[in-house]
Amino acid sequence: MAKKTYDLLFKLLLIGDSGVGKTCILFRFSDNHFTTTFISTIGIDFKIKTVELRGKKIKLQIWDTAGQERFHTITTSYYRGAMGIMLVYDITNEKTFDDIVKWLRNIDEHANEDVEKMILGNKCDMEEKRVVSKERGEAIAREHGIRFMETSAKANINIDRAFSELAEAILDKTSGREADADHARIAVERRPSRAPPARACCS
Amino acid sequence: MSEVENKVVPVESEEKDYVEDGKNKLIVKCKFCGSKILDKKSAKYITLEKELPLMQQDNNRKEGEIQNESVNEFYHVENMYTFENIGFTHTVANCKYLSCADCDAGPVGYYDMETKHSYVAISRIVHA
Ligand SMILES: Nc1nc2c(ncn2[C@@H]2O[C@H](COP(=O)(O)OP(=O)(O)OP(=O)(O)O)[C@@H](O)[C@H]2O)c(=O)[nH]1
Ligand SMILES: [Mg+2]
Ligand SMILES: [Zn+2]
Repeated sequence: MAKKTYDLLFKLLLIGDSGVGKTCILFRFSDNHFTTTFISTIGIDFKIKTVELRGKKIKLQIWDTAGQERFHTITTSYYRGAMGIMLVYDITNEKTFDDIVKWLRNIDEHANEDVEKMILGNKCDMEEKRVVSKERGEAIAREHGIRFMETSAKANINIDRAFSELAEAILDKTSGREADADHARIAVERRPSRAPPARACCS
Repeated sequence: MSEVENKVVPVESEEKDYVEDGKNKLIVKCKFCGSKILDKKSAKYITLEKELPLMQQDNNRKEGEIQNESVNEFYHVENMYTFENIGFTHTVANCKYLSCADCDAGPVGYYDMETKHSYVAISRIVHA
């Protein structure tokens, strides 16, 4: 046997309406001087990222999904093996926010009932075009008892942090139920960001 | 597992200062952003001939044309979860290309869909 190089492996999915920014969340806006048109033409299927949480080395395998697939066509096979789901809407598009409820219903129907969810209100860099307030995002997350964060793939706001929060929530589940039930929520609201400093970006 | 396979060339690899016991002596990082791709001693050094698309394609190239170069030194990764941080592209002709998980630079190597093994091009990474 090869030496074990990690403690846990979590599979995560990005889900949400077309155009909300799932691909951009996975595939950073790398419009730096070394932008590689070759990679962006083909597109990223998934990424493997390593994070350390509470002394554990965790591998995250993060999958993009094609948004033209609507919730009514997404069934069990789509969610197979997923331990975490990032449910993304666009703060500048009301419809994508309304559809969150439908996506949640779809996840309830087809995903593993243990799956950890998180709602992301993406494109928070576009304040002037905002139509969904942060409060409404927080409210729907509270209503369903799941985590929430506003992100910007473009400005690299909260992206790494969102993934480590989701990973942490899964870790709480897998490392026994003795964990304080309120811990997860507090973690979202209080924990300082552990994400590395934002890279120089497009803006 | 530890047996050296036919195509590995231990004699030659001894001369490389970044190879030790047939493996990467140092941490493998992205050339552009320094993102950690492989931990030290986690992948086997191998030589093989492979055409890889250039990381920087000429903007004036013909539409649909892909500029390749021949690469012949790789780190061989049998299990994809050995990677610290890496991206996998969609599949093209039974292969996925590898890219930096943090800045998306690439291809830094490729993944063979049949064997499920990955190959990191040594000329496209830096050691640290
Ligand atoms: N301003 C801003 N634009 C964004 C952000 N994220 C994505 N976009 C833009 O939104 C558009 C759609 O982004 P994608 O990542 O392709 O959306 P998607 O969710 O993958 O869509 P499908 O693949 O069709 O499901 C693109 O034009 C992006 O440039 C963001 O954080 N801020
Ligand atoms: Mg997409
Ligand atoms: Zn990089």
